Amino acid sequence: MSTRRWRWPHTMGSRLFLILLAGMIVAHLMSFAVLFSERYMSARQVMLGTLETDVATSVAILDRIPAAERPQWLPRVNRGNYQYILGPGSPGVPEMTQRGRDIAERIMEATGTHYPVTVQSIPGDGKQLQAHLTLSDGSPLTIDVHPRMTPIAEWLPYVLVLQLLLLILCCWFAVRLSIRPLVALADAADALNPNTRSQPLDEHGPTELAQAARAFNAMRDRIAHFVEERVQILAAISHDLQTPITRMKLRAEMAEDSEEKRKLVSDLAEIQTLVREGLAYARSTGGDSEEASRIDLGSFVESLVYDYQDTGKDVTIGENAGGAIVTRRNALRRVLTNLIDNAIKYGGGAAEVGVRRERDTVVISIMDRGPGIPEDKLEAVLQPFVRLEGSRNRETGGTGLGLAIAHQLAAAIGGSLTLRNREGGGLAADIRLG
Amino acid sequence: MESHVDHVLIVDDDREIRELVSTYLTKNGLRVTMAPDGRHMRQFLDANTVDLIVLDVMLPGDDGLVLCRELRAGKHKSTPVLMLTARDDETDRIIGLEMGADDYLTKPFAARELLARIKAVLRRTRMLPPNLQITEAGQMLAFGDWQLDTTARHLIDNEGTIVALSGAEYRLLRVFVDHPQRVLNRDQLLNLTQGREADMFERSVDLLVSRLRQRLKDDAREPAYIKTVRSEGYVFSMPVEITEARQ
Repeated sequence: MSTRRWRWPHTMGSRLFLILLAGMIVAHLMSFAVLFSERYMSARQVMLGTLETDVATSVAILDRIPAAERPQWLPRVNRGNYQYILGPGSPGVPEMTQRGRDIAERIMEATGTHYPVTVQSIPGDGKQLQAHLTLSDGSPLTIDVHPRMTPIAEWLPYVLVLQLLLLILCCWFAVRLSIRPLVALADAADALNPNTRSQPLDEHGPTELAQAARAFNAMRDRIAHFVEERVQILAAISHDLQTPITRMKLRAEMAEDSEEKRKLVSDLAEIQTLVREGLAYARSTGGDSEEASRIDLGSFVESLVYDYQDTGKDVTIGENAGGAIVTRRNALRRVLTNLIDNAIKYGGGAAEVGVRRERDTVVISIMDRGPGIPEDKLEAVLQPFVRLEGSRNRETGGTGLGLAIAHQLAAAIGGSLTLRNREGGGLAADIRLG
Repeated sequence: MESHVDHVLIVDDDREIRELVSTYLTKNGLRVTMAPDGRHMRQFLDANTVDLIVLDVMLPGDDGLVLCRELRAGKHKSTPVLMLTARDDETDRIIGLEMGADDYLTKPFAARELLARIKAVLRRTRMLPPNLQITEAGQMLAFGDWQLDTTARHLIDNEGTIVALSGAEYRLLRVFVDHPQRVLNRDQLLNLTQGREADMFERSVDLLVSRLRQRLKDDAREPAYIKTVRSEGYVFSMPVEITEARQ
């Protein structure tokens, strides 16, 4: 048993192509073979028929004319398949093929009644026959037969190759035609993002494809609907909580100063943050109506950092390769403030902001020197309500939504947010735009 | 020695919030009138004037934005309005300010925060020169190569690129363009620049001026916009024009 087994090619396209092409080539060869043998049979029939009458006539002519004139006549009676030799010919053997026997029989029929005749096959290619007979004046005559088909026309191989090419082309075209919608469907499924309104699949084309496209579009709408509903519920709850929280806050403020009041106010602040972040998260996935505008990135980042500095926060700016970019600036500001707040809260109280260009991409990095995040959690913390073990702590008051909001919004403005641990400790958040 | 007691009208559909706020503000020396909706607000304002209106955005019937626009078009157009919004984002703030609100506060808010804002708005509107006292919807101030968008609080260069300003930078620039061609000393600038974040960490005026010059691409040695007046202070030397170009 060989260990290397025939393996299907990986793509559906090449498999289909192989099957179709192999099938068509086999069918083609079969019909060619049938045609060829049919042609052979009829040609043989014709040949044998003419051989019989022709040989009878030719032998009669050669017999009648004087022996001296015979050589002059030879070219006139010679045919493509058989020639006349004035002489005993070559020695041969009596065994011969079926075809040879057919031919011999015809020759005997044509001449045997008048002349003694023996037919032998000449060893060699196995096809050559010689009929030896003696004319009425006693001189020997040999009919040298080379039974063969009329040669195949020269253009036939070209036609064959052309047909093969046509087959390959048609197979390839058919396969492509049937595979393309499948690829489009896969692409659409890949690109499916309920947060951004993407183009629905084209529902035209062959029935099965149109049906698949319709089913896919319906599924897409359902997913979008679920996401929207989830967001709306979150928004509604968050929103409706605001009035009672306002009342509680006001009432707590009126109360006498006490430890209880302090705790109440701090709890309320926590709830308020959660509600606000919940709303912000709901909105970040819902896609805001903000228009993009061209901003000077340098001053945008700088003014943001200065606002932090002016409230006494340790936020600094390093490299600032600005330039103008087109973006939704309020969303971008939210992303940056969330990340800076995060760095201040969990990253040791200080944040450094840097802006650099990597070819066509602008990368804004927010870096801290805090404890960083374990490598296997770097992606998970971008999900809503995912917090690191131990950071779920009342003092820091994190909601677990800050990074999720930043992540969603970065995607909503056509960018991306990735986290990485810095060399020498600390976390860096990279926002890539453009 | 202020004998005048500021009169504040609170328009909010939640009775408890209204009353709690009213109690707190009264305790802190303000006179307060309450209205549950736009209809009551109109009724009251037909016969009375107030110093400031606190207006909730979410109201039954006409909402706060509609009422604010209405106020700006009527006889109370110079009464400052402080909006209470439920949404804590830029879009809402900008819509509110475009409708003519002077400031905004996000719910849930603390009463002392509201008091601080009310005082800041009152101080600011009283200090502004008469020609700029009314915050028009979508007002733009043009000077030199720049336009200052007073609702979004950023600069726009002559190619349409937005140049952002920090809060302190905006307030200082606003003081300058509100008082063009007038020499302002550092104390004045500091006082006028204190906005609603009055309790924040104070940057020195000189540093802020140098940052502003950077934003305006102003040459520090030969400034075209903010000129230094030796031993006195600074003067904004460009003529300022009010345009309504924003749309």
